[in-house]
Amino acid sequence: MYRKQVRRRRAILALLVAASLALLTAYFGESAGGALHGLQRGVLAVLAPIEEGAGRTLKPGRDLIDWAGEVMDAKGENRRLRRERDALRRRLAAAETAARENEELRGLVGLARSEGFPGGYAPLTARVIGRSPTVWYATVTIDKGRSAGIRTDQPVIGPEGLVGRVTALTAGSALITLITDHTSAVSAEVLPSGAGGVVKPAVGDPDDLLLDYIEKGRPVRKGQTVITAGWRSDRLASLFPRGIPIGRVTEASIEERATYQRVHIEPFAELRRMDLVQVLTGGAAGPPGAGTLAAPAARAGSALAGAGGGG
Amino acid sequence: MIFTPSVVLRIAAIVLLGLIVQLAWLSQVEVLGSRPDVVPVIVVSLGLLGGSLPGAAIGFAAGLLVDSALLQTMGVSSLILLGVGYLAGRWREVYDISSSLAPPLVAGGLTLAAVAGYALIQFLLGVEAPVSPLIVRDMAVKSLEALALAVPIYPAVRAVLRGALIEERARRRRAMTIPVGIKPI
Repeated sequence: MYRKQVRRRRAILALLVAASLALLTAYFGESAGGALHGLQRGVLAVLAPIEEGAGRTLKPGRDLIDWAGEVMDAKGENRRLRRERDALRRRLAAAETAARENEELRGLVGLARSEGFPGGYAPLTARVIGRSPTVWYATVTIDKGRSAGIRTDQPVIGPEGLVGRVTALTAGSALITLITDHTSAVSAEVLPSGAGGVVKPAVGDPDDLLLDYIEKGRPVRKGQTVITAGWRSDRLASLFPRGIPIGRVTEASIEERATYQRVHIEPFAELRRMDLVQVLTGGAAGPPGAGTLAAPAARAGSALAGAGGGG
Repeated sequence: MIFTPSVVLRIAAIVLLGLIVQLAWLSQVEVLGSRPDVVPVIVVSLGLLGGSLPGAAIGFAAGLLVDSALLQTMGVSSLILLGVGYLAGRWREVYDISSSLAPPLVAGGLTLAAVAGYALIQFLLGVEAPVSPLIVRDMAVKSLEALALAVPIYPAVRAVLRGALIEERARRRRAMTIPVGIKPI
């Protein structure tokens, strides 16, 4: 009797493990329009309104925990911000002069006015309603989706800078893959030197990004700002338009034997605590195929949008 | 555990409620630099109360729900959580849960195993970015958070499923059959 029970238990366990592995394999093998992806979108469509309601209800509790953490951080941040304010005052004077010159030059060459913001985009504000608890999937869910005009691969920004891009959609919600997700890669440029590279995350540390593949001849210094490079060729274009701030260089060391430089940057966007984001709808990075780069499908976790991506 | 349609519904409600609280609240707060994960704690609690097979089945179903709700690779969370539920159930079958410390400790230990297993699967599937050593800290903190979460969650889950627990029924039956005069105080 006992042996029979053990055999039954093992058989059911083996069946469940086999089912999990079959699901995993099938998920990897199917396209973004496949049955399992469709099932996921269905579940998300059902859960999104509940998440939104629960999120609003539970916000006071969340704020209380955030408040305790923020008080701890506030002292150190205050000192750093004072130093930064002094530096920014000096830079403001220089920037105003540069802005005047810029206006004149724009008039001369006939460029469209954009004041640093990527042109041709309509920012759509959305609320973060869900978030992945694991560091292996740096994703958030927002309360606006296809019906609001959002399309996959559209860039997403926060008040401080680049947040990520849209990787999956339902009618009323969208999944944003953050720049700290291990499938993310963003072509970027360091200001003012113009050194270009690719911003990749350091998995497990949301406060640290790596700017890789910078040519050795282009010196990068601590404190410099990194923005999206926004390249474009005949057939392809970057998903992210040029000029979105990404972060500040925190560590720049040159290794003699390395072919490329690699520097650490701290993202401007508060990726761990943001409540609101803006999706840059419209523009060149619209629906797939409209001049966007289809990134290599690297892992099934974000195969909905062709993961691995950025540009 | 005695499974009736009402008990299955209650288990489904517990898992769904846990997932919604996870997505809408716990995933958005950080404690010691890590986001608490309540789903493994619920699966451990149900495994400890129901046994290895129900634990595995509940873990599998909870994993499917997690992967669907977060648009993650389907099958990964199912595989991890079915293992968590099974091991929690085996714990109950092999050892007696006499101490009130046992459920939190099992939850903490199995959550650590779950996040380590999750990392292993991700490495097997391919990670395209450098991995920070902070990931180890995240695992340890998640495990401690699970330990703390299990302190209120295990008794709460037990209370919701009280009527279906075999030992609870046996205890009640014993209490009813003992004559009033010699009933222990």
